[in-house]
Amino acid sequence: MQPVYVTATAQCLPGAPVGNDRMADYIGRLSPEAERLGRLTLRQNRIRSRHYAIRPDGGSDWTVAKLAGTAVRGLLDQVDAARVGFLASATTQNDLLVPGLASGVHAESGLPPIELASLQSVCASSMMAFKTAALQVAAGEHAAAIAVGAEFSSRYFRPGHYHGTATMRADGTLPGDAEFLRWTLSDGAAALLIEDKPAERGLSLRIDWISLRSFADRFAPCMTGGAIRGEDGSLTPWSLREGAPVAAAAGAFQLRQDVEALHRMLPVWMGEFMRLVDEGRIDPNAVDWFLCHFSAHSLREEMVKLATRAGCMIPEERWFTNIYEKGNVGAAAIFLMIDDLMRSGRLEPGQRILLAVPESGQCIMAYAGLTVVGEKQ
Amino acid sequence: MTAIAIAEDNRALVERTHRGLAQVWIDFESALVQVPVIARLTAGKLRREDYLSLLRNLRQQVVEGSRWISRAASNLGPEHEELRSLFVRHAVAEHRDYRMLEKNYVAAGGVLEDILGAQKNIGSEALSAFMYQAASKPDPLGMLGAMFVIEGLGERLALPWSQAIKAQLDLDNEAVSFLAYHGANDGDHLDMFDHALALAVRDIATADDVVRHARIVARLYRLQLEELDHV
Repeated sequence: MQPVYVTATAQCLPGAPVGNDRMADYIGRLSPEAERLGRLTLRQNRIRSRHYAIRPDGGSDWTVAKLAGTAVRGLLDQVDAARVGFLASATTQNDLLVPGLASGVHAESGLPPIELASLQSVCASSMMAFKTAALQVAAGEHAAAIAVGAEFSSRYFRPGHYHGTATMRADGTLPGDAEFLRWTLSDGAAALLIEDKPAERGLSLRIDWISLRSFADRFAPCMTGGAIRGEDGSLTPWSLREGAPVAAAAGAFQLRQDVEALHRMLPVWMGEFMRLVDEGRIDPNAVDWFLCHFSAHSLREEMVKLATRAGCMIPEERWFTNIYEKGNVGAAAIFLMIDDLMRSGRLEPGQRILLAVPESGQCIMAYAGLTVVGEKQ
Repeated sequence: MTAIAIAEDNRALVERTHRGLAQVWIDFESALVQVPVIARLTAGKLRREDYLSLLRNLRQQVVEGSRWISRAASNLGPEHEELRSLFVRHAVAEHRDYRMLEKNYVAAGGVLEDILGAQKNIGSEALSAFMYQAASKPDPLGMLGAMFVIEGLGERLALPWSQAIKAQLDLDNEAVSFLAYHGANDGDHLDMFDHALALAVRDIATADDVVRHARIVARLYRLQLEELDHV
C-alpha cells in the first residue's frame, strides 16, 4: 500500500468563544435547577469556553454542512481542488434525514465532482472518515482525499425541543442523562487533507495505522437520539410510533447519555489500548503526543492504577488537548486537536503521535498512530 | 535477592501479564452481562428464587476454594517458597467463607438442608475439575491467573451486586454478607496478588500461562453461572 500523509489541516469555529456564564444565553434556560445541574457538569468536564452556531434568539446562519464546508474551504486554500478526488464526512446528526451529509458538504465546499462517503455515528465517526479517506489514498484510488468532522448540537438543546415533552419534569428539570449533554457538547468543524506524499514545505503527519473496533456485541445503546425508551429499558425507533408529533411528545428527538454506562465502557476502551500494545502497534514509552478525546482527569483513579500496572499510562505532560477552550465538538474534536497541534509550533520531525477516540454511543474505540515528517519551518 | 529486586528485573514481563489479565477480565465482565441471572440483576428484575439459586450454586464452588489453593501450594517447589507461603495464608483466610453463604441462604428465606445438600452444577464441576487438575501440576504458577479471576469478582463485582440484590429484594445485610464482605476486603487480596505476580513471573512462558489460566477460569466461571441448578 502507498504511504499516506496528513499534509494540511483546517478548522471552522462559529462566532466568538462563549464562556460558562453565558452558555444559557445560547442553549436557553429551562429552570434554575437545570442550571445548577449544568454548573455541576461543568465542574466535572472543566470546559471553560466553546463556540455555538446558534444565536441567543434561536436563529442561525449556519448548518452542519456549512460548518464542514467552511473547514474544507480552509484546506482548499492550501491545495488545488482538482487534486482532491475523495471527501468523507463525519457527524452525529446531519441537517437532513436524507440525503447524507457528504453531499451537503460537497455543495458548500467549492469542490468539483468527486467521490464521497457519509459516515454517521458519534465521536468515532471522525475516525471512520479518517480511515476511509486514508485507505482511498493508500490504495491508489485517489492522490488526495479530505476527511471532515462537524457538529451543530446546540440547536437540539434549545428549550423548544423539551417543553411539552414527556422528558420535562413538572419542576422544569430534565433527567440527568438528557441535561448532561446540554452542558457538554458544542459546535464546530475541522478537516484534514490526506495525500500520497508529504507536503513540499513544512511538517506532515505520516499515517502509520488506524484501528477502530465496536463492542456493540456486549453493550446496549448508551448515547441515543431518535428513540423512545420504554419502562423496561427497550428502545423504540421514533418512526414506529403513530407519527412524528407523537414520537416528539414522548421525547424521542432528544439526545440522551447514560453516564453510568459510560463508566462501564472505560475499561473496555483501555483494554483496546492494551491489545494494541501487545500487538506492537503502540509503544507507550515512544509516544510524544497523546491526543485523546477525553481528559486525563476524567480517568478515575482505578483506571490510572490499572494502566500504570500494565505499563500503559502515558504521563500527563505528553497529553495534548484543547477541550477546555474549544469544548467537546464530538465528531470534529480529534481533527480540531490535530489542527491545533500542527499550528502550535511544538511538533518536531520524528515525533510520534497517538490519537484516541472513544465513542459511548454503543461502545466504539478508535486509535491511530502518526509520525511527524518533513522539516520544521 | 530481595522481592523488590526481582520485581524490578521482571517489570516488563509483569506488565505484559497485567495487560493480558486486564483483557481477559474485560471480556469476562462484558460477557457476564448476558448471563440470564446477571442480566436480570442488572435490569433490576431479580427474583428471590434467583438469589437463592445463585447462593446454592456458588456455595458448592466456594467450599472447594481453599482446598485447591492448598493443593497448589503443596506443589510449589523450594524455589517458590515465598509464593507458597502466600498461597497458604490465602487458603487459611478463605477456608470457611462458604459458611457465610449458608447463613445468607437461610437469612434470605432458604432452607439450610437445601444448600448443604445441593450438588455442583455442570459448570461448577468443570471449574472444580480444572482447578484441581491445574493445581496438581509441579510448580503451578498459572494458578495465579485463576485466582485473579476469582478475586477480581470479589473486588469489582461483589459489592455492587450485593447492593443491587439488597435493594431489589428488600433484604437485610445478614442476607448479603458474603458478597458485601468480599467487595470490602478483596482490595487487600489484589495488592497481595500483585506481589505474588512479581514473585512468580520470571519468563514469558509463565506470563502467558497465567493469562491462559485466567482465560479458562473466566469461561468456566461464566458456565457455572449459566448452568444454575443444572446438576
